[in-house]
Amino acid sequence: MNTPRQIRRQAKRLLHWCTMGGQLSEERVRLAVQRIRESHRRGYLSLLVEFQRLVKLEIAARTAAVESAFVLPDDLRTRTRESVEKVYGPRTITKFRERPDLIGGMRIQVGCDVYDGSVRSRLALLEHSLAIASTREAVPR
Amino acid sequence: MADLLQELEAQIEDIRSSISKQNVGVIREVGDGVARVEGLSDAMLNEMLDLGHGVTGLALNLEENEVGVIVLGDYTQLEEGDEVRTTGKLLQVPVGMGLLGRAVNTLGEPVDGKGPIKSDVAYPVEKLAPGIIRRRQVNQPVQTGIMAIDAMIPIGRGQRELIIGDRSTGKTTICIDTIISQAKLNRAAEAAANKDYRPLYSIYVAIGQKQSNIARIISVLEEAGAMPYTIIVASPASDSAANQYLAPFAGAAMGEWFMDNGMDALIIYDDLSKHAVAYRQVSLVLKRPSGREAYPGDVFYLHSRLLERAARVGEKYGNGSVTALPIIETQAGDVSAYIPTNVISITDGQIYLETDLFYQGMRPAISVGLSVSRVGSAAQLKAMKQVAGQLKGDLAQFRELAAFAQFGSELDAKTQAQIDRGKRIMELFKQAQYNPIPVEIQVVVLWTIQNGYLDDVPVERVKEFQRKLTEALSTRKPDLLQKIVMEKSLSPELTVEVKAAADRFKETWR
Repeated sequence: MNTPRQIRRQAKRLLHWCTMGGQLSEERVRLAVQRIRESHRRGYLSLLVEFQRLVKLEIAARTAAVESAFVLPDDLRTRTRESVEKVYGPRTITKFRERPDLIGGMRIQVGCDVYDGSVRSRLALLEHSLAIASTREAVPR
Repeated sequence: MADLLQELEAQIEDIRSSISKQNVGVIREVGDGVARVEGLSDAMLNEMLDLGHGVTGLALNLEENEVGVIVLGDYTQLEEGDEVRTTGKLLQVPVGMGLLGRAVNTLGEPVDGKGPIKSDVAYPVEKLAPGIIRRRQVNQPVQTGIMAIDAMIPIGRGQRELIIGDRSTGKTTICIDTIISQAKLNRAAEAAANKDYRPLYSIYVAIGQKQSNIARIISVLEEAGAMPYTIIVASPASDSAANQYLAPFAGAAMGEWFMDNGMDALIIYDDLSKHAVAYRQVSLVLKRPSGREAYPGDVFYLHSRLLERAARVGEKYGNGSVTALPIIETQAGDVSAYIPTNVISITDGQIYLETDLFYQGMRPAISVGLSVSRVGSAAQLKAMKQVAGQLKGDLAQFRELAAFAQFGSELDAKTQAQIDRGKRIMELFKQAQYNPIPVEIQVVVLWTIQNGYLDDVPVERVKEFQRKLTEALSTRKPDLLQKIVMEKSLSPELTVEVKAAADRFKETWR
């Protein structure tokens, strides 16, 4: 029986095998998934789920999700892409997306890092800082 | 109104100024007050995390791809997929004089309905204990007002003295008595404008206690007028295990503020058995490896790092102190269980309370043989040392002889006298709860018993003798008591005065 720890370790080894020159090889990922499916070994489904999670994290770490309230003009897109690549390396994939609820401004997420310059986040920050004084007092029990 | 506009402008300007980089993660699992968060690659150990919905978490397990977070609030609002942000701040609580007289929760938020806490300083909950360079020897006493403790197991400022015993043996009562005694001494020193006296502020940390018990303790302290010198940190049984685990650390942070500012604080952890249980629960849901009795491997370090924060620091560092009185509840008197042995080895002595003594009417039920204070004797008043130096030995002999006398063998006069003296000392050490005795009275009472004034008093009338003597001294000889307080030792001249007062009282006592 494969324990969750063993599954995690195997998934990590698999991800390592799929990484070539610091870059995730799509070909190898597909091959690995195919081989696991065909093997029908014990706990293969859990292994696939864990492997998928690691691949998702790896892709997220290499992808810059640029969100804005409106469609960005081409020159701004180019400038944004260049800036992202300058910080996170030339292999970073930049994806643009519209999110009207941001109201204005831009939000960029690369892995765990978030640069939020949207109007929505600034309003939330303002709301939070104004609420600090009133939240100091908890409801008496 | 103009102030409000300025404040608003400043807030907006602050927000407008820059876009900062934030580190985020996503909740993968949540339950039992613990969340597992994917991402958060920059999270620090013990960092406060913003879980959204106004809920704060604390990063406890940093793993390769995820972080184990304990939720300090209502975790039922959280959902899988919610975004979590780092705050860059370690968990901190408000500290300062503004907390005195208040009851707060683990996060330092008021729970007494008396309005916001007036404090503009915050201390991190987890802090390194003062190092060896900063420390100095314990040499000032904590007067508990309990004669058996002040005479035989003295506690010094900066000491860690464990109070251990089974359930319902009076552990909390000893601590409440000590708090009341400190409040009385503080108030007396304030009234006399005595600048030499260093007030001792008390912090009572209730961990996993019943809400009704905490409310009762607060009302006792209010009735005794001790609340203005006391902070209550309440993490009752209904609080989450995470809050119970953090409560003593929050209390220690509040105590450290007094120490850092050249003042003295006394902190009571009631109790560390429940604290260990709360920590075990947190550790198990965080899937940390468990060891003996399912406690995690670092349960010793949990208590040692907490109790090491009790210290007395040198003149150069403000001369402040934090004294710790941790409480441990034993099961059927088993002091050799895991958590009791851990805490016994960490502290500078223990006061052991026995169930048998308690039901024999010996209250406080202190077992003199098993109780010890390893550093407190250096802090004991010289006058107390002079009168109580022999007491522990006398009582040990008494116990041995009394056990021997049970067999009904004939005893010589000297042995019988020793047994009689022992019985009277034991009787003298009985003390009503919430009724601390000033140290000067203790000195005179102990002097009288050491000098044979009670030898002809029947055992059942010893307490009456003590009460009347106390009354006589307080009403007719306040100057003598004051001299003992000021001189702190029994000089030959003072001894003559004490003798004269005792003789005079003995003549009139019937």
